[in-house]
Amino acid sequence: MTELFSFSSVDEAYAKLDSLGGYVNPEEVTPLKGAAAHEVAVGPVHAGVIEPGHFRFQCMGEDVFNLQIFLGYQHRGVEEAIVAADGNLPRQIALAETCAGDTSAAAAIAFAELMESAFPDRFPVPDGDALRIRSLLLELERIANHTGDLGALAGDVAFLQTASFCGRIRGEYLNMTALICGNRFGRNAIVPGGVRVTLETEKIAELRKWIARVKPELDRALKLMFHEHSVCDRFDGTGKVSKDVARKIGLVGVARRASEEFNGDVMARALVRRVEINEAHGNISRILDGETPSGSKTVKAYDVKGGFPVVVATTPAWRGPLTHAAAFSPERKMLRYRIVDPSAHNWPGLAWALRGEQISNFPICNKSFNLSYCGTDR
Amino acid sequence: MFKALVARFKEGCRTGAFPPAAPNLPPDFKGRPEIAANTTAEDVARMKAVCPITDALTFSDGKASLDMGRCIFCGRCAEACPKVRFTKEYRLGVFRREDLVVRAGAGEYVPPVQTNPEALALKGSLHLREVSAGGCTACELDANVLGTPAWDMARFGIRFAASPRHADAIYLTGPISENMQLALDKTYAAAPDPKFLIAAGACAISGGLYSKGRYPVEPTMYIPGCPPHPATTLEALLRFTGNGC
Repeated sequence: MTELFSFSSVDEAYAKLDSLGGYVNPEEVTPLKGAAAHEVAVGPVHAGVIEPGHFRFQCMGEDVFNLQIFLGYQHRGVEEAIVAADGNLPRQIALAETCAGDTSAAAAIAFAELMESAFPDRFPVPDGDALRIRSLLLELERIANHTGDLGALAGDVAFLQTASFCGRIRGEYLNMTALICGNRFGRNAIVPGGVRVTLETEKIAELRKWIARVKPELDRALKLMFHEHSVCDRFDGTGKVSKDVARKIGLVGVARRASEEFNGDVMARALVRRVEINEAHGNISRILDGETPSGSKTVKAYDVKGGFPVVVATTPAWRGPLTHAAAFSPERKMLRYRIVDPSAHNWPGLAWALRGEQISNFPICNKSFNLSYCGTDR
Repeated sequence: MFKALVARFKEGCRTGAFPPAAPNLPPDFKGRPEIAANTTAEDVARMKAVCPITDALTFSDGKASLDMGRCIFCGRCAEACPKVRFTKEYRLGVFRREDLVVRAGAGEYVPPVQTNPEALALKGSLHLREVSAGGCTACELDANVLGTPAWDMARFGIRFAASPRHADAIYLTGPISENMQLALDKTYAAAPDPKFLIAAGACAISGGLYSKGRYPVEPTMYIPGCPPHPATTLEALLRFTGNGC
């Protein structure tokens, strides 16, 4: 434990922090002491319709010195349940899909690829159509979530036009997902060896028409926000995580990209989402034109001493790389299952982003990361 | 400012015609199941073999039944046996747990009508406090969309309140994880009387794929699904206060 107390200002506290070598795990920082020191606790039940988590803002006057994040409220034993369901494939898929509901398609892909690698004799290699449908669901999930997050960011700085437009447009992408598989979250479609749904020519034509209508509307909504001075003023420089820090604490996905390619503030994370929305649209139009995407190239199988196979599958989910790993007995009975949501890497990033900010900037910092509680808690 | 006004004008009104018009459901939407009267124990066994949920399908007293409170509407049973069919019936919310069980050969379905005078008094002003208790956030997200212009449940006076102090009902999602039990109990206790508990989604109703914690009180409404479609939720909430569509 590092002791930090009796500072008269955040600057002084950070100077002390620097003298200790710069990086201290936010969870190891003890509560502050001193006249200006105070702590604000929120959660687990929050004001919005969101997941539970407990946050403690350790403040020096108006400034947040440190944000402590307490998770675990969502723990319900997903991994243990997947192991216990060994032999009941539909149940295992459903469990993987409900680890984090907003990442259902990515989770199903990771699970399917893992099982295909572990049981090549049981599951066929997915054909082109299956790979196309999987990628479509993954990219639609990416666009829907990024759109929702950008709308929520707009809402948090009281720019209600883009908040309303994006709220509605996110639903259009969820409904496109439902057109493909009947479920707005892309569930019940992906299985090891392939998919349970078909993508007929009429559906492809309808998707093309739908996207051609909605994409310009989304572009208009985002342009409106990114060109608004009052929005830019709130996003620029807020919640900054430098490239060095991002590397040091191992951020992944959107947050990592924002610190590598841009300057790591709320605006950067918003811009990365806009970039990824455009990239995802490019992928979708290539898939609809008939191009077959390759499956994930990051499935790795290891043979641990004694013949215990371990398979690790990573899918480029919308928040970042989603990793599923399983260990099997020599008879290939499932022994352990592990899910690492990209959020698990990024929660310390949120704590870093809030350093030196005011509590009132927490909503946009939080929304710019939009990390998964259930995906982390499992 | 001018650009914002132009964009707002171009966007127009996006609120769906539902209700009173029928909701726009996807072609593969899976609603209330129908089970043929002649479904045998063997049929049920065949379906159970592909069902991800323990005990969603049962066979007793010579009759098959499907518990919508446990079902995640994946449609695997209907693929395995043509005697089960998922209809487009989206009006799934009920007031009694046993009404979620669909029996073989059940006749025409009529959604139950609210008779509780304290709930009927909330017509036009229903304030909900959401408690996410171990859910995967799909239920939460699809409850949240009801606030977007596409669904605009506020036009019926239905809103999510920021505090349980302002709530008429607790809208519960998730299987009530062990670590959320206390928070749920406290949130329910913090709401003023008269108050209700609405359980939304397979997890909150039966635990779904997980094991369920303890309700503070028995729910006064159950909205099944994994997650419930927004049309299902909106129709159920309207019917909850006797504001049928």
